[in-house]
Amino acid sequence: MKKALAAPASVGIELFVLAGVAGLFAGLILIGKRVHAPMNVHFSISLSLWQLPKYTACTLLRGITAYALSLVFTLVYGIIAAHNRRAEKLMLPALDILQSLPVLTFLPGLVLLFVHLFPTRQLGLELACVVTIFTAQAWNMCFSFFGSVRGIPSPLREVTAIQKLNAWQVFRLLEVPASMIGLVWNSMMSMAGGWFFIAASETFGDYKLPGLGSYMAAAQDAGNARAQVGAVIAMVIMIIALDQLLWRPIVAWSERFKLEDVSSAEVPQSWVIDLLGRSRLVIWARSLLPSRRNRPRSDRLISPRSPEEEQRHRATLALLTKITGWITITLLAAGFVWGMWALFELLRHVPLVSASHEDWRFIILGLLASFGRVTATVILGAAWTLPAGILIGLNPRWAQRLQPVVQVVASFPAPMLFPWVVGGLAILHVPFSIGCISLLLLGTQWYVLFNVIAGAMAIPSDLREAARVYHLGRWFTWRKLYIPAVFPYLVTGLLTAAGGAWNATIVAEYFSMGGREQATFGLGAMIVRATNQANFSLLAAGAITMAVFVVIVNRLVWKKLYRVAESRFSLNIG
Amino acid sequence: MTAPAILEPKAAADIAIAEVRNVSVTYGQDAGTSRLVLEDVSLAIRSGEVLAILGPSGCGKSTLLRTMVGLIKASSGEVLANGKPLVGIHPGVSIVFQNFALFPWLTVQDNVRLALNGLSITEAQGAERVKRCIDIVGLDGFEEAYPKELSGGMKQRVGFARAMARGPELLCMDEPFSALDVFTAESLRSEVYRLFSSKSTAPASVSGNAMSGLRGVVIITHQIDEAVFLADRIVVLAAKPGRIQQIIQNDVPHPREYQSAVFRRLVQRIHDAITKEQLPDIPETPSVPPTPGGMPVPEPLPAVNIGHVTGLMEIVRDHGGEMDVFSLDQLTDYDFGHTLAVVKAGEMLDLLDTPKNKVILVALGRKYLDGDSNARKLLLRDQLKKLGTFQFVIRLLEEAKDHRLHRDVVIEELAIRLTTEDIERMFQTVVAWGRFAELFGYSPNEEVLYLDTEADAPAALPA
Repeated sequence: MKKALAAPASVGIELFVLAGVAGLFAGLILIGKRVHAPMNVHFSISLSLWQLPKYTACTLLRGITAYALSLVFTLVYGIIAAHNRRAEKLMLPALDILQSLPVLTFLPGLVLLFVHLFPTRQLGLELACVVTIFTAQAWNMCFSFFGSVRGIPSPLREVTAIQKLNAWQVFRLLEVPASMIGLVWNSMMSMAGGWFFIAASETFGDYKLPGLGSYMAAAQDAGNARAQVGAVIAMVIMIIALDQLLWRPIVAWSERFKLEDVSSAEVPQSWVIDLLGRSRLVIWARSLLPSRRNRPRSDRLISPRSPEEEQRHRATLALLTKITGWITITLLAAGFVWGMWALFELLRHVPLVSASHEDWRFIILGLLASFGRVTATVILGAAWTLPAGILIGLNPRWAQRLQPVVQVVASFPAPMLFPWVVGGLAILHVPFSIGCISLLLLGTQWYVLFNVIAGAMAIPSDLREAARVYHLGRWFTWRKLYIPAVFPYLVTGLLTAAGGAWNATIVAEYFSMGGREQATFGLGAMIVRATNQANFSLLAAGAITMAVFVVIVNRLVWKKLYRVAESRFSLNIG
Repeated sequence: MTAPAILEPKAAADIAIAEVRNVSVTYGQDAGTSRLVLEDVSLAIRSGEVLAILGPSGCGKSTLLRTMVGLIKASSGEVLANGKPLVGIHPGVSIVFQNFALFPWLTVQDNVRLALNGLSITEAQGAERVKRCIDIVGLDGFEEAYPKELSGGMKQRVGFARAMARGPELLCMDEPFSALDVFTAESLRSEVYRLFSSKSTAPASVSGNAMSGLRGVVIITHQIDEAVFLADRIVVLAAKPGRIQQIIQNDVPHPREYQSAVFRRLVQRIHDAITKEQLPDIPETPSVPPTPGGMPVPEPLPAVNIGHVTGLMEIVRDHGGEMDVFSLDQLTDYDFGHTLAVVKAGEMLDLLDTPKNKVILVALGRKYLDGDSNARKLLLRDQLKKLGTFQFVIRLLEEAKDHRLHRDVVIEELAIRLTTEDIERMFQTVVAWGRFAELFGYSPNEEVLYLDTEADAPAALPA
């Protein structure tokens, strides 16, 4: 998943936003704690292979619902931030921080909240699941949309001003089409990244939802090998089908929205579009649709409103917008204050040091342990994917064939395979605290590979020719050309992998399967245990600590790396 | 001189379609200081005329147009539309843009149709008008095409069709032919000229429908030939800050031909006027020797490379050491502002002299060309040390800790003293010249300017 980094905001604003998000989180948990009612949901998963299509459809539907939610959010949030400079100062850092937070830290809070609001129905769980996936999908789409709207060349905006287009027309005719390509690519990546969280959030502790993720978990619990294989196959088929039948055609269609005039040599192809274009059935069906050109010319006025009416209409709209803005700000301010109180209320119950393992000291220790694992994951992952990715990317034939494969592999939710890996580790007598790293790797190394391949493909051929003509030698070429050239892509991949690894700690450090429990010392495990024991204060403390830490590391390490990558290693000329 | 036939006869001739009075426009810059782009400009576009605004790149002509039309707010002064203060965008204006500004996801037809927004005509009339305008520009048959499929010239025709479809009072063209290759530009320009100058070639229905109501045309250009070819009145803008240098009435009779004597004379006259302004015989500000202990005064630098100056000097030497500015200009395909800037740079460095309209290679310039690269650097270093700007920067560095200064500091200091310059660009020029002459160094990683202390010892000159 490629993440976009916003322009650096002041530390003050970032702290403010971070506090706001923490407060929001604490508030959610507090509500869940207050509205405590016994959980009545127990859904049994049938392991019959014939149920697989139904479960696949459930999972798919959840993903699509979350995506629709993300899209609406993106359009609304992005437009407000793009048009209002003052709002932007707060809204962009907020997005940036939300993007850095490990999504699964939200999950316990959300589950508790929604389940307790809808105790006897499945609706609560479904909502929790969909909202969790939304928090995984929405942020990078929003950044892309914002960036595209801001990047619209001013002559086009001047045209809309001269032709007196109103705000809705500008949105429909200019802003959305100009952002279309970015939106499509980010939508693809969002949906792909979402599968990881669906699998993880369909079965959380005792809660189960009908779907592929819980099917797999149930199959692993029962030791039913056939069902497990069936689930994996179903997942792979769904991902590939979505990619080929939905995304590739959309990407090919969205070519027309490219803002540059030069038609590029490499136009994305889609066999689906080719097929549909030539199919006689489709051509006939299209001719049935009422076409705008065929409509009889009407005597309707193009602009029913006179200029004075138009002026008044706009003034009213402006006033309404202002009022709504003020109401929103007031509500947000009130929410912020309440969130701070909720935060204090929850966290004060966590002692600094205590006899049991439920205090701040252990939270910090757990954090360091998990941080160690995440760092090891990133380093180990880069160690093999960097050379492999460069080798693949330099060879166009391999790259062409392998890149889509890697994309699909990256989309596959690794948690589904965790029990197999854990079993393997047990057989090899690898201590789980270290073996856990392989689980983290399984989910995240593909992002690095994917990005490095893209980076190697982008190395201009004349640089490679110069290396050969001047007899630079293999080792020297790698050191001075290939590795620096892919550096920006590597940083993107590492950043994504690190984020994925933090998320994975929540599902990898604590394992409960068929009565067996595998756990290791780490913050992820603490969070899961706290949820299971309904220790809300500890849960909030652990989750917020992880979130704050990730944001700090993000700012101190990744942003600096990114800036270095952009300024020194970027291949953009001029 | 009769007004171009396509424009309405002097209906309401007294009221200017668009007017600015004592208008100034200021932009904010990154260094926190502001830059004066236009200073005290007063101009009225009268009914029945084609007006050209002529000037080098960066002189503020696009800004002037956008201020008159209402796209940019003036920092001071009045902007009027048909005699009344302008609120929002001028209601009767269409613009043809330099880079076409077509929406890539709309067909030709839909792009033109955009122009009909807000007009009180029926759908049927609108469709008719769109079809007619596309027809006039010669793109009949391309209604369903996307801009991606069109060549540059065709895209600009769509731009014209869109501008006409709105039925404007004032048609504005912002360097409409600059983004086209020479041949396409020439062909399109002739077509536009024919449209303006002869009613018989324009289909009767055109002036009946879309173009009725057109009272004036403004064209922005940096080519003197183009201005003389198309316009009745030519406004020459000087740069930094943008202000009106001269307004010239174009009396060349129609039909105009580039090579006719009358045409060439006017072009020469305009060129001379510009040259005199850019390269005055008497320096406008006598170089102020720094008062003892006082800070040297920085002065604006032309944004050119040393390489350009060297090349120009070589060319002048090949032509016997003396050339006419105008002929020099013809040799290059720069817009004329750039040639003059290079000449001005050479003059500042005392390598060239520019009496009247000539460029003469002086003795120091010959010595420069004859020397090897080391000799050239030393010579250049001595010359740069005589310039106020470089004295200023060197003094700043000498007084700084470790003789190092961050670029933002230097830029701010320059910006305070030079309010009409694009300081970022000027800083790049200062760094480029300074590095070439090894006066100081610049580290892009840390963005720091530093004094090159080792290089102060001059290398031995070859005997």
